[in-house]
Amino acid sequence: MDALAKGTTVLDDFSVSSEPGNERAALARVAEAVKGFTLAPLRLERLKTAVAEATMNAIEHGNHNQTELPVRIRVLGGADALIVTITDQGGQPVDVPDPAVPDLEAKLAGLQTPRGWGLFLIKNMVDDMSVSADGQQHTVTLTVRLQESTTEDDDAEHL
Amino acid sequence: MQSTCDVTVRQMPGAVVLDLSGELNSSASGVLLPAYDEAVQGGDARTVLIDFSDVDYINSTGIALVVGVLAKARAEGRTVVACGLSDHYREIFSITRLSDFMQMFPDVDSAIGDLAET
Repeated sequence: MDALAKGTTVLDDFSVSSEPGNERAALARVAEAVKGFTLAPLRLERLKTAVAEATMNAIEHGNHNQTELPVRIRVLGGADALIVTITDQGGQPVDVPDPAVPDLEAKLAGLQTPRGWGLFLIKNMVDDMSVSADGQQHTVTLTVRLQESTTEDDDAEHL
Repeated sequence: MQSTCDVTVRQMPGAVVLDLSGELNSSASGVLLPAYDEAVQGGDARTVLIDFSDVDYINSTGIALVVGVLAKARAEGRTVVACGLSDHYREIFSITRLSDFMQMFPDVDSAIGDLAET
């Protein structure tokens, strides 16, 4: 296990099998793990959506729906931020995620598939997202800063 | 995969309403578009109102399904409006820009009331 930053606590560390739908179990457990932290309701909903989408990607694209392969989820809490890592067993090198907004006009015109929202949603739901791979595993790290989480006004400004 | 989303179709003044309940995810692919087709089949409904009040989960695949319905409706010259979205999903409809193409209302009554005035 990697070294934790000073003052950071492991709030939960669990795995789900790679079956579609298990992303909901993951988001519920992450929500439970961060209960003790001050996180505005809308920011908690954003974190839950990001966790669900990242877990779905791990199940489908990392582990290719092979149910015996686990998706490991760690929830870390510190003074300034909550960090959630989602790790699958696909360790190929990863491209830097494309931050571009999906082209809705093209999708509505039938020129592009209606799909392709997952990564875009994740990036917009958290303060930071990073991706790493070590040849065997592939990890998405989601960060939500706590100092922006005290009021619903923060949510409005974030929109 | 068994769908975790149910859709009920009903006619209201000024719109045909799709009442969604459950989870809008990949399992809904076999129910949402067929429900839209059923709703507009043989009728002259120009406006389709999707009621999300009883939807407790929407993921990126669910967003894609809504895009698919919206694309089909626009190709057919119909308008799609939405109601009943939680604050969180209203935000998601905003950042995905779906709200640029679907007017959003708090509930069915306010949507129908607004449609009646226009």
